[in-house]
Amino acid sequence: MNAVLDLHVQTTLHSPGRSFALDARFVSQTARTALIGASGSGKSTVLMAIAGLAPQVRGHVRVAGRALLDTANGIDLPARERQVGLVFQDYALFPHLTVEQNLAFGLCRHGKRPGEAEQARIDALVQQFDLQALRRALPRYLSGGQRQRVALARALAPRPQLLLLDEPLSALDTQLRIRLRAELAEMLERVQVPTLLVTHDPSDVEALAQSVVEIDAGRVRLKSAA
Amino acid sequence: MLAPLWLTLKIALLATLLAGAVGIALGWWMAQRRFAGKNFVDALLMLPMVLPPTVLGYYLIVVIGRNGVLGQYLDRWFGINLMFTWQGAVIAASLVSLPLIYKAARAAFEDVDRRFLHAARTLGAGEAEIFLRIALPLAVRGIAAGLMLAFARAMGEFGATLMIAGNLPGKTQTLSIAIYDAVQAGNDAQALWLTLVISVVCVVVLVVSGRMLQARH
Amino acid sequence: MHACPRWLGKATLIAALSLGSVVVHAQEVVVSAAASLTNAFQAVGQAFEKTRPGAKVTFNFAASGPLLAQIQQGAPVDVFASADQETMDRAAKANLLAPGSRADFARNTLVLIVPASASAVPQKLVDLTGASYKRISTGTPSSVPVGRYTMASVKDAGLTSALEPKWIYGESVRQVLNYVARAEVDAGFVYRTDALIEKDKTRIALTVPTATPVSYPIAQVATSKNAAWAKDFIAFVRSDAGQQILDGFGFSKP
Repeated sequence: MNAVLDLHVQTTLHSPGRSFALDARFVSQTARTALIGASGSGKSTVLMAIAGLAPQVRGHVRVAGRALLDTANGIDLPARERQVGLVFQDYALFPHLTVEQNLAFGLCRHGKRPGEAEQARIDALVQQFDLQALRRALPRYLSGGQRQRVALARALAPRPQLLLLDEPLSALDTQLRIRLRAELAEMLERVQVPTLLVTHDPSDVEALAQSVVEIDAGRVRLKSAA
Repeated sequence: MLAPLWLTLKIALLATLLAGAVGIALGWWMAQRRFAGKNFVDALLMLPMVLPPTVLGYYLIVVIGRNGVLGQYLDRWFGINLMFTWQGAVIAASLVSLPLIYKAARAAFEDVDRRFLHAARTLGAGEAEIFLRIALPLAVRGIAAGLMLAFARAMGEFGATLMIAGNLPGKTQTLSIAIYDAVQAGNDAQALWLTLVISVVCVVVLVVSGRMLQARH
Repeated sequence: MHACPRWLGKATLIAALSLGSVVVHAQEVVVSAAASLTNAFQAVGQAFEKTRPGAKVTFNFAASGPLLAQIQQGAPVDVFASADQETMDRAAKANLLAPGSRADFARNTLVLIVPASASAVPQKLVDLTGASYKRISTGTPSSVPVGRYTMASVKDAGLTSALEPKWIYGESVRQVLNYVARAEVDAGFVYRTDALIEKDKTRIALTVPTATPVSYPIAQVATSKNAAWAKDFIAFVRSDAGQQILDGFGFSKP
């Protein structure tokens, strides 16, 4: 039986004065996994490596048996072919496109008008994430919670095989974080897409994940059930 | 009376478009890549801004003059001779404008948050789409300011243009050259009139581009 | 306290001495001369300096028109030599010349030259109307004498409109010569003395008759601070010694 996520990634990041070596290996059998570590431990780099956005990564990444990266066998899919959805810490919604255009980005290449199937998918997501009133809005006019919903919907639009969340709640104040954590838990339960969630907050792990992997100074230290 | 003005505007516009296409492409390429010798390439691209115009003019003659490195083939195979033509003037003006556009474009692209580009990649966009739909629209203000400065610079180009295109009234006599010509001939009234015309145009261009840069921040 | 580095003192001393020598050197004559006189006048200047110890001649070569413009704008010139009477007339009209100092000192001939690599050589002026002569160069008529001589001769030959689209104007007769030498143009009008400078790269096709003789006047500038030296230089140019040098470069007697 294929693991939900099976990875071993090695890479070295260079910045002036220091270099950071990542050597992370773990296998997860649960649908929702948390990757926890202090800031600077390399957890975001793991996400980038899985998504195909980090340069010069060696090793392998397999999602439900499908290899996105397998250096030994010469496989290294470019990011656009990996079918991985990524939600950034500050959501990275395209500021010059409306909510609807953001959602459509993963479905229609070069801004072409959505066909019937694509439009149906967009409408379904708008419904599912309660974005009806915001279709034509620009991201800068949205609240934090609204942006989170749009970011999730956008990442899920092209039906990815794996969803990556990079510290989805860190940028929020405590009150908002509690509320949105509950919302996020509910949304993840609904969408049923294998998810890897990166966080430094143990409360997130409890509410959102089924198993947890701990990372420290670029190396995985502990793996356990949430 | 105003023939030099229309000629100057035509040459400056075409030069800005040519340098714009090349400068924006290079700015994007350099903003993305990290490689050994990057600083050297950057210095090379800024060179036309720093070299004396006569040096640039000489290099251009060496390349596109009738017996030049490229010019001899243009002449032999196509019967094309760029010396003393307004097309040659466009090339000279593009060369001096290129660094201005390249610098502005590169800075504008580097200002675009990497995460937008990453997000676009995970959503299936290829590099061309990322450039056209994400990077370019978000960098457009900075690039536009660069284009305006380049236009003003192209309008004022004198040294290299004079060496390549010569001073042919109606054909290659741009405003700057016409002013020089008027001074040489002792025609002060004409020189003053032309100077005022070009000054007004340049001030307008600078004011507009300044506003665009300000609005960005 | 002596906190300054020791070399600073030495440097200051040297600078002061050099400045001093420039100020002391009032026997400097500044001569603005037409571009076609470049080589000949440099030789004349050297000969002049040899016979008058302590004298120094500084030359400023360009087309006659721009030289006049410079003098009009107050350039500190002592002597002015132009390639045609018209420019000197304009100078006289603007009261820029010391009265009585003007004199003619040489003559030249207008010639039509082609690049040495040219396959066809024009036999008559009218040959220039042919298709193989796409670009013909001469000086800018408004400011360069050779341009004016050329246009007058072309007009006399009735070829003004036929040749009109072919002109490539040079800033000076030397630039015209350069264009022909580099084969950037198919033919050019220069003085015989200029053609002799680029014997290897150009060929004289024919001598062009001019309505007015190509006559070179020289004069002392009214605002000159070195009147004595200016007069002396002009005298030298007109003397046997000066004339012999000019003759060596192909100029004829005035």
